[in-house]
Amino acid sequence: MTDFEKINIGDQMPSLTKEPISEIQLAKYAGASGDFNPLHYMDAFGKAAGQGGIIAHGMLIMGIMGQAVTDWIPNRNLKRFNVRFASVTRPGDTITVSGKVTGKSFESRGLITCDIAAVDQNGQVKASGSFEAWF
Amino acid sequence: MEERSAMVGTSFPSYSFMVEKGKIREFAAAIGDMKDIYLDPEKAVGEGYPGVIAPPTFGTVIDLWGGPGFMKLCENLRLNPVKVLHGEQEYQYLESITAGDEITATTTITNFTEKKNMYLITMETVYVNQRKEEVQKCRQVVVELK
Repeated sequence: MTDFEKINIGDQMPSLTKEPISEIQLAKYAGASGDFNPLHYMDAFGKAAGQGGIIAHGMLIMGIMGQAVTDWIPNRNLKRFNVRFASVTRPGDTITVSGKVTGKSFESRGLITCDIAAVDQNGQVKASGSFEAWF
Repeated sequence: MEERSAMVGTSFPSYSFMVEKGKIREFAAAIGDMKDIYLDPEKAVGEGYPGVIAPPTFGTVIDLWGGPGFMKLCENLRLNPVKVLHGEQEYQYLESITAGDEITATTTITNFTEKKNMYLITMETVYVNQRKEEVQKCRQVVVELK
């Protein structure tokens, strides 16, 4: 883990690039999470919903963003984490998560605030948000 | 619309979920985030946790396996499932959720907004463990396209 003293506003969080999202992963995530919205595994439902086919669970993308955060920050240090879903992810998309330190303060403990975003292979933002972590 | 606005402030019946080690592993594997603290009790203890812990977005498992599920949620909120998208999600972390915990969650509808092309429904959920400790809070925004 990085030392609080060594973190500066503007620093980049180590980025994470995942294997392309697959339909099998969406089926696994549906079962694991209990989100059986057919939009995530029934092509015809995705088309009826105007999405052009299957789209990934937003929470899978947030889960991947959480992976990137906790690759860098120990889980117990995470204080708050939010994302806004910006565009849909489809099977075959490759997600890269990156983040940047935007705030640093110290009262009884150190606290940092970071921006975070998940983008696909074309740089399209899938979800963006922020998190706070204690030190 | 008015019927929905009247739902603001309403809480749904609480639901409980037993956090099993195998469910944590399954969820971590679906994300592809195979940290030892999600998989190996000894290593999790070595890191200072009481046992394997839940990843940061595990609250969604508690909601969807322990709670009413997507279709029931749409029914409760009078949403058309074909038009529903996830807008935002926020977690506040107070204590770790550990395998063996029994978590009780209570969701309240906190806002309902009509925009030009969509409705936005905000819900907040509080998660409490078997020791009555608040472990985390969640705020989510669900979008229904017009």
